[in-house]
Amino acid sequence: MTTTAQHELTTDIQARPDGCIRVVLCGRLDAQTAVGCWNLLEPKLGAVKIKVLEVDAGGLQFCDGAGLALLRYLNMRKMTPSATVSVLGLEPELEKLFLGFTFDDYEAFRSTAGAKRHSLPEEIGESVSLAAADLREQVAFLGNIVASLPPTLIDRKRMRWPEVRRVFELAGANAVPIVSLISVLVGVIIAFESAQPLAQFGAQIYVANMIGLVMVRELGPLLAAILLAGRSGSAFAAEIGTMKVNEELNALETLGLDPMRFLVVQRITAGILLTPLLTFYATFMGVLGGVLITLSLGFPLTLVFHQLTSSVHLSDVALGGAKGIVFGAIVSAVGCLRGLQTQQGPSAVGISTTRAVVTSILLIVIADAVFSILFFLLKK
Amino acid sequence: MSVSQETIITVRDLKIGYAEKVVLQNVNFQVRRGEVLVILGGSGCGKSTLLKNLIGLYTPLAGQVWIEEGNFIAAKDSERLQMLRKFGVMYQSGALFGSMTVLENVRLALDEFTALPEPVKELVALAKLKLVGLGAAARRMPSELSGGMQKRAAIARAMALDPRILFLDEPSAGLDPVTSAGLDLLIKELAHHFGITFVIVTHELASIYNIADRVIMLDARTQTVIAEGKPAELRDNAPDPWVRRFFNREPDSASAVHPN
Repeated sequence: MTTTAQHELTTDIQARPDGCIRVVLCGRLDAQTAVGCWNLLEPKLGAVKIKVLEVDAGGLQFCDGAGLALLRYLNMRKMTPSATVSVLGLEPELEKLFLGFTFDDYEAFRSTAGAKRHSLPEEIGESVSLAAADLREQVAFLGNIVASLPPTLIDRKRMRWPEVRRVFELAGANAVPIVSLISVLVGVIIAFESAQPLAQFGAQIYVANMIGLVMVRELGPLLAAILLAGRSGSAFAAEIGTMKVNEELNALETLGLDPMRFLVVQRITAGILLTPLLTFYATFMGVLGGVLITLSLGFPLTLVFHQLTSSVHLSDVALGGAKGIVFGAIVSAVGCLRGLQTQQGPSAVGISTTRAVVTSILLIVIADAVFSILFFLLKK
Repeated sequence: MSVSQETIITVRDLKIGYAEKVVLQNVNFQVRRGEVLVILGGSGCGKSTLLKNLIGLYTPLAGQVWIEEGNFIAAKDSERLQMLRKFGVMYQSGALFGSMTVLENVRLALDEFTALPEPVKELVALAKLKLVGLGAAARRMPSELSGGMQKRAAIARAMALDPRILFLDEPSAGLDPVTSAGLDLLIKELAHHFGITFVIVTHELASIYNIADRVIMLDARTQTVIAEGKPAELRDNAPDPWVRRFFNREPDSASAVHPN
């Protein structure tokens, strides 16, 4: 016979000669004392083969959900698989609670299937079919834009120009500080990093040529587009996604207003108009950063300016602007598409914004590659 | 178990609001152990704000909230954590964690705050789910549950550590009458059999008559408690005509469509 007193629970294990074990619990069986009780009972009861286990709970003054769960665990013969187990002496109130969850309930839970696991081929197949469906949706969306853009643009009332202006301000004007900072820094970094290897060949002055070409043709448009994707593409997706979750899109449709014409066209128009401007601005700031470094290397401004104008042609500037238009269309269209695709649930809007940014950047890079090839072919 | 005379929550001279805007002031009331107290009031009178102050999400501008022997507002972090364990909260939307199954939602507090062995924790959580009638939904994700089921799952989660007090924000909002009545029954059973104290914010009149031992009524004009008592008494005998109108569902003014 072992008696152990914990905080306010005494656990008394009595072994009878006929192989019956009696566990007498007195006091308070709660989430704290149940732990000690478990630690005491498990090694003792698990070690020997027991035919009959009686748990006397008559002395319990308090028993909470955790205590009852422990009693139920014992009663389900989980600790003593070979024994018949009975729990005796519970107060009527507790007895009612105790009977509220039985072995049958536990078995019913065990038999319910958990989340289905897919095999690797299944998962690959599923993601391929999802990607294909997504591509189809993107193409359909593109068609939809092409179909709804011109008629909305000519219809002044439907176009809602104030909304375009609002988006223009949010996505364009408000982005100026961050675009300035990042572009100047990128210009500075590129000029600084390239000045050192070029110095070995005495070609430091060509830093100006390089920074001009790189910023105008590549980095200006890319920086503007990537910042736009991060700042505004995600915002479009979140805005439209929240509207979808709140059933505002349904409300629009039942009012007879097509979300494409009411929300999407305005954002795409603003995106197409503002991105070339943002691109030129980013280019200018990047070149400015590079020029600052070349000046600090000791070259006079006139020389740097000459190098810049001799290396950068109007076609390069046009290319940068064209990229800006296309990237702007991509970012705003993808943001709207992902917003419209938002599912239900608390994480849906978050997923949409992430997808908007990822898809935008992916498509921007692909479009950039296409531009490079086209430009190369055109120049030949 | 019936309502005892022992006071479990005491609210003293509570003044709540947001920075410059006072929403309610001079709020005084007590809740007894095992009682179902309903906080009532028109839309925008500060019911939910009061609840958020009681459970410590907002800090009151002035006043005290005593939960059992401790002043919750002035409690230090360590005491506060202990006091938080004395109550559970069900939010209006259920606020189940969407990335976990229903069972994991209920188990979370047990995993974090107790040293119970795994199978016992599972049994505790399953028993709570059975209690709210969701035994079969244990492995499902919250998004797969209906609104009523989510609320019941949220009650099960709030009860995981057997708190003495449950705060419920709009338990029957958006539920059909049958589901809502089921929830009322659950609240009554939990209060009467297990002596759990309930503080409930709602405007569902049918449910108030069913469950409330006592109501306190807030008013946006006077910014304080304007009536306190049993719902049927207030309906018939409240001195303030607005309170009687509230209980009798009478409109504030004549119909706009038929002004006469």
